[in-house]
Amino acid sequence: MIEIKGLYKRYHGHHRSDWILKDININIPPKISVGLIGKNGAGKSTLLRLIAGIDTPDKGSIKVNCSMSWPIGLKGGFQASMTGRQNVKFVSRIMGAPKSINEIISFVENFAELGEYFDKPIKTYSSGMKSRLGFGLSLAFDFDVYISDEATAVGDKRFKSKAKKIFSEKVGCASIIMVSHSEGTLKQFCKAGIWLNQGKAYWFDEIDEAINAYHSSL
Amino acid sequence: MKSSRSSWQVTRSVWHALFLREMIGRTTSDRFAWLWMVIEPVALIAMMVSVRVFLLGGAKTIVGADFVPWLVTGLMAFFLFRENMNRSIGAIDSNKGLFTYRQVQTIDPVLVRCFLEGSIKTFILVLFILILELLGTQILPDNYLRAMLLWFSLWLLGLGVGLVLSVAANLIPEIGRLVKMISLPLMILSGVILPLNYLPIHIREYVLLNPIVHGIELLREAFFSTYQPVSGVSITYLGTWVLITNTLGLILHLKFSEKLKST
Repeated sequence: MIEIKGLYKRYHGHHRSDWILKDININIPPKISVGLIGKNGAGKSTLLRLIAGIDTPDKGSIKVNCSMSWPIGLKGGFQASMTGRQNVKFVSRIMGAPKSINEIISFVENFAELGEYFDKPIKTYSSGMKSRLGFGLSLAFDFDVYISDEATAVGDKRFKSKAKKIFSEKVGCASIIMVSHSEGTLKQFCKAGIWLNQGKAYWFDEIDEAINAYHSSL
Repeated sequence: MKSSRSSWQVTRSVWHALFLREMIGRTTSDRFAWLWMVIEPVALIAMMVSVRVFLLGGAKTIVGADFVPWLVTGLMAFFLFRENMNRSIGAIDSNKGLFTYRQVQTIDPVLVRCFLEGSIKTFILVLFILILELLGTQILPDNYLRAMLLWFSLWLLGLGVGLVLSVAANLIPEIGRLVKMISLPLMILSGVILPLNYLPIHIREYVLLNPIVHGIELLREAFFSTYQPVSGVSITYLGTWVLITNTLGLILHLKFSEKLKST
């Protein structure tokens, strides 16, 4: 269960800045996967960051009573000069590694399919490889909620179907909150939808309705 | 995965992971990085000594201590402080990606870096003492406990200044440049290379505002009991600075951590 109450957020730039998110009140029930849609700059990623707890709201509160992943995205927290393996080790250590570190490493190694690149510095990776590693890394831990910022749009067709398979195995005990511009992906993974428009957020029980609302606003 | 770990357990696992990561970064960043860690101070001290002996003449100018041990203790103590200060400034920036993980706080990389720097510098100091002793120079401290206390105080001073600057330099990037600029003058003003006893009294008054002078002079006194430190140095003054900088640094981290994470 995620409770968002009276949430306001803006970024302070050098210019006068408007609220990106204005008075957002939304409850996300447990075990419901949600897709966030809206125009560029509507605040999708901002809301995601706020839910994930890496940013703080200017006003209002977010209550979370389940475990949540970090946002699985392109810019994942990797140290560029270190190898994929070292980065995976690092994250398992700060997570307190409920499973053994070796288990996590071998899972990520198999999942990300990087081959010998797993032992090469991250800076030599292509962006696809990076996001495959990031995606695999977050799936290696059991969270209640996974947060994804365009992460499932990575890799080729075969990788996508594999990611989808592993992810649907997790559904039932986990849900996902995701931002994506691909409506196909949203429909595939999400049940409910949140449509962000002009600082307001609208909840829809069906993702199709959210997509329709988004289309009619264009 | 429910968060059944206590805050302390989480913090400790973050420190552990960051420490290993920084350690690997320091020792494998380029070829023989681990060797350079030792060679660099050795080479610097060798240069300083030879400049002093061959260019300025080997006149005995320091009362109550030999020149080489006097210089070694001063340089190492200053490096201990300076590395804490300099490495802290980059600590947040180079670990920015990690703040994606909620358990990593902005203060963690700073603390870990300072701990790592402190360990390295302590190791090198011990190495120096051993080598110089074997070469027949008297450098073993006369008062071990006091020497360790002062060494630790200088480390704490560096940590405090590092904590403050790590936040300040991230909010105002010019501060980082300024610190790099004053690094060398600060070394001279701290009486590392040239003794401060020769300064006129009205100038010495201002030099003594610098807490590093107090730390270094007292450390030398702990090493060489016959040594006459610059008059007016006090461990209370140093301690006050340690307390103030560390408190200020912790407050700044508390206040600005969200801002540092998001920029």
